[in-house]
Amino acid sequence: MGTRLDRPFLILVGKRLLAIPLSLIVVATFAFGLVALIPGDPAVHILGQFASDEELARLRGELGLTRPFLVRYLAFMGQLAQGDLGTSFFSRRPVLEEIGRYLPATIELVVLSMIGAVLIGLVVGGIGAYYRGRWQDRIASGSITLFQSVPDFLLALLLIFFLFFLLGVVPPPVGRLGFGAATPPAVTGMLLIDSLIAGDFDTFRRAAAASVMPVLALSIVYSAYIGKISRTTVSAALQSDQALYARACGLSEWRVFTYALLQARTPILTYGAILFGSLIGGAAIIETVFAWRGVGEWALQSMLKLDMPAIQGFIVVAGGITLLLYLLLDILVLLLDPRIRLR
Amino acid sequence: MSAGVQNAGMQVSAVQPSWIRRLLGAPLILAAFVLVVVLATAHWIVPLPYNPIMPGAGSSLQPPSLEHWFGTDRFGFDLFSRTLAAGSRDIPLALAGTLLSAAIGVPLGLLSVTRGRAGELIMRGLDAFQAFPLVVLAVAIVALTGNRLENVVLAIAIINVPRFMRLVRAQGLSIRESRFVEAARTYGASWMRILSYHILPNVTGVIIAQSSLTAAHSIVVIAALSFLGIGISPPQASWGAMIQSGAQNMATGQWWVVLFPGLAVLLTVASLNALAEAADRRLAQ
Repeated sequence: MGTRLDRPFLILVGKRLLAIPLSLIVVATFAFGLVALIPGDPAVHILGQFASDEELARLRGELGLTRPFLVRYLAFMGQLAQGDLGTSFFSRRPVLEEIGRYLPATIELVVLSMIGAVLIGLVVGGIGAYYRGRWQDRIASGSITLFQSVPDFLLALLLIFFLFFLLGVVPPPVGRLGFGAATPPAVTGMLLIDSLIAGDFDTFRRAAAASVMPVLALSIVYSAYIGKISRTTVSAALQSDQALYARACGLSEWRVFTYALLQARTPILTYGAILFGSLIGGAAIIETVFAWRGVGEWALQSMLKLDMPAIQGFIVVAGGITLLLYLLLDILVLLLDPRIRLR
Repeated sequence: MSAGVQNAGMQVSAVQPSWIRRLLGAPLILAAFVLVVVLATAHWIVPLPYNPIMPGAGSSLQPPSLEHWFGTDRFGFDLFSRTLAAGSRDIPLALAGTLLSAAIGVPLGLLSVTRGRAGELIMRGLDAFQAFPLVVLAVAIVALTGNRLENVVLAIAIINVPRFMRLVRAQGLSIRESRFVEAARTYGASWMRILSYHILPNVTGVIIAQSSLTAAHSIVVIAALSFLGIGISPPQASWGAMIQSGAQNMATGQWWVVLFPGLAVLLTVASLNALAEAADRRLAQ
């Protein structure tokens, strides 16, 4: 693998790194345009329908909504260049601070869910591929179709019924620690990691228990695609000449199977990166159902309230994370897959 | 693959068979098709046992019984009537959104076939767009344009246009290289003619398959929107809103409020996915 870190590789990474600020400008422009060009009056949202025209006009002035479009755009980009995403219309606090407060919980949820999705997807897809065309495959493929069709919030509610109401093995869906529990001192902002750092195993255990249902719901729904793609690639690999040769050499079935399973790494990584980016906002409904207080839930509420700086800030941050992820993905794929050559 | 599909394919393979006839060749696929049609139209065809938008049709939170087949929710709505009424709203909405996105995405995709580099750039832009969480984008569009039904359709259309563009472009680019297009160009056919007479007929199949997938996805998005209280005006019925109204009941054991509208969503989406897969399999042969 060391040989991969050669000159063309480093040049490619450098080029992609340089392209990120440019792409961010595009994302920021899109964020600004989407929010600023679509009709809707935040002043009415803040003051309510019964506010007088003078009050509305004054608030619009305060929020800077009366300035010409281009001036607002340039001001927005100028602030952004200094790492300032503006101030929320409602909480009157810096958008960046708000995102920093809610993002760690979402990252925790998304990372755990992706690990779960890959595990479930690999197991289901692997079984389908190994027993291709037999009853095991039919069950695996049926599950994939089912996972693909179920909306995440419906699955979450079914889990609440079975795991909480019927079996009682998980805590009620009322947030990450239940009512009135003290949180460990924030280091990373991620409850599971912070409680470990503080050595507070009781909090860790409770936080982990509260994570079971939301993580399971997201894992199952997003395992569908991973299951599908691993079934296809692994079954092709199992029927290849390499697999025939490996079997002829007397390698155990399990070993042949794990070699075939490796074939799915590139598509899974690719999908994982796309999924991670889109789940930062896409977990919003699950976060709402479980009172998770994540960034998706926050963005959703901001959208419903027409909190323009918050929406713009969210799009810029989510877009920035996605861009970084794609870069990381390309590097990882290059490092992991020797078949992909640089020209 | 079932024997029924094989036979249906063989009987009609001599002539260019009609799409509908091909799809109806398999019993499971037929069942999926019928299910979607029934859920979409039952409200208009058969009389519902109770008024779906009148609360207090029964006492609240009754479990399923002979009187109320799917039980009642906490407002005393009859859930059977309401599930069917919601279908005749959600499915047409999803189809309208799908049609609109195809109507915008297919021509744009076709046009991009005639442009090499510019098309590539646009596609890159769409990639970034696709990475954005689509449900959240739909929420943003409806929240910003106003909480009305036509804006829900608009949101569905906007989030799905890139899929159609990408698909038509990918297919169109490979067809563009084929001999008959080359021949058409040598006798001086205009791009307009090549696109509409030579390329479009060859991509109809994938467009139909994609439309079914898009409709399935749209059902989920509409359910998610109305779950969040967007795009509906109570007491109107919508599957997502019904699931939301039963959400708290799940923790206290009244499963039927969520289960029946949930099953309706699940079955509709699974059917539309199955239809898309069947169309895809046909294309692959």
